[in-house]
Amino acid sequence: MALTVGEAFPQVQLKYIPYDAAAADGCAAPQVLDTKAAFAGKTVVVVGVPGAFTPTCSVQHIPAYVSRAPELRAKGVDLIVCVSGNDFFVMSAWGKSMGVQDAIVMAGDANGDLGRATGLALDLAAVGLGAVRLTRFAAIVRDGTVAYVETEDDPTQVTVSGVDSVLAAL
Amino acid sequence: MAIEVGDTFPNAVLSYIPYDAANPDACGLTQQLKTHDAFRGKKVVLFAVPGAFTPTCSESHMPGYIAHLDDLKSKGVDIVACVATNDQFVMSAWGKANKVKDDILMLSDANGELGSAIGLFKGDQGPGVGPRRLARFAVIIDDLKVVYLGVETARGVSVSGAPAVLAKL
Repeated sequence: MALTVGEAFPQVQLKYIPYDAAAADGCAAPQVLDTKAAFAGKTVVVVGVPGAFTPTCSVQHIPAYVSRAPELRAKGVDLIVCVSGNDFFVMSAWGKSMGVQDAIVMAGDANGDLGRATGLALDLAAVGLGAVRLTRFAAIVRDGTVAYVETEDDPTQVTVSGVDSVLAAL
Repeated sequence: MAIEVGDTFPNAVLSYIPYDAANPDACGLTQQLKTHDAFRGKKVVLFAVPGAFTPTCSESHMPGYIAHLDDLKSKGVDIVACVATNDQFVMSAWGKANKVKDDILMLSDANGELGSAIGLFKGDQGPGVGPRRLARFAVIIDDLKVVYLGVETARGVSVSGAPAVLAKL
């Protein structure tokens, strides 16, 4: 089932390591982000990427969300979640490398639950990145309901999933 | 079935991003490494970890190998390599975070080819880190023959750590 505008964002449990300003280099314990509980009553931007530390993701896609997070907040966004099929340790390290701090929750979908629930799974075994990945997409979720969702036809490109497109749709 | 001492190390295709001294922050191109091509005629120390950037790996396992690099080389080791089922981008980034340069080859077994061939996948680690991870182990390979294999059976680093490997060289 694909993620569809007007329908509920599926309930899955992602994991993340909270940013800790007091111990920015520490390895904190992972926390669960339950999409149903965390998204209730909030405007949320979810950005899915095929992999942490990959050239497109690191160079073009997520840094723009970091630098323009204040614009998203100004348009009423309460929570920005970046998610991939990497685990939470990798997502946390990737966030640190981009200076994300607490602007974006860097969540792992290492077991592929979100990919299965949204139909946005991407099998990249053929290029050596493993089978449990997400395609590149962005979604706006208002109080648990999908208000915008676009996936990149070519996951190496950033167009409809980029921060400009999301800002225009808010 | 897991490999044993005396076995030929299996031929598997792994991927990695070569260290580029001129542009250490650049995103390099993925290269493939066939274990038999790369390890033939060489003495290799390969240590495997369940995951890049995990607390045990980053705080106690990898740093031991970095600290003992000269000792390993002085005992005739040609290649020190680290492998996990993280992809090559993650392995490369983890290497950069640990400043390994080209002293340690950061290899990816994202498709699980090596893990399947050597039978050393970890059991389910519980929700959230994915189902297919390598056990924590170290292996000494001399001209493709396994001469030492230390697999951790509990949390922590003992038989797979650099000191244990050094004692067997």
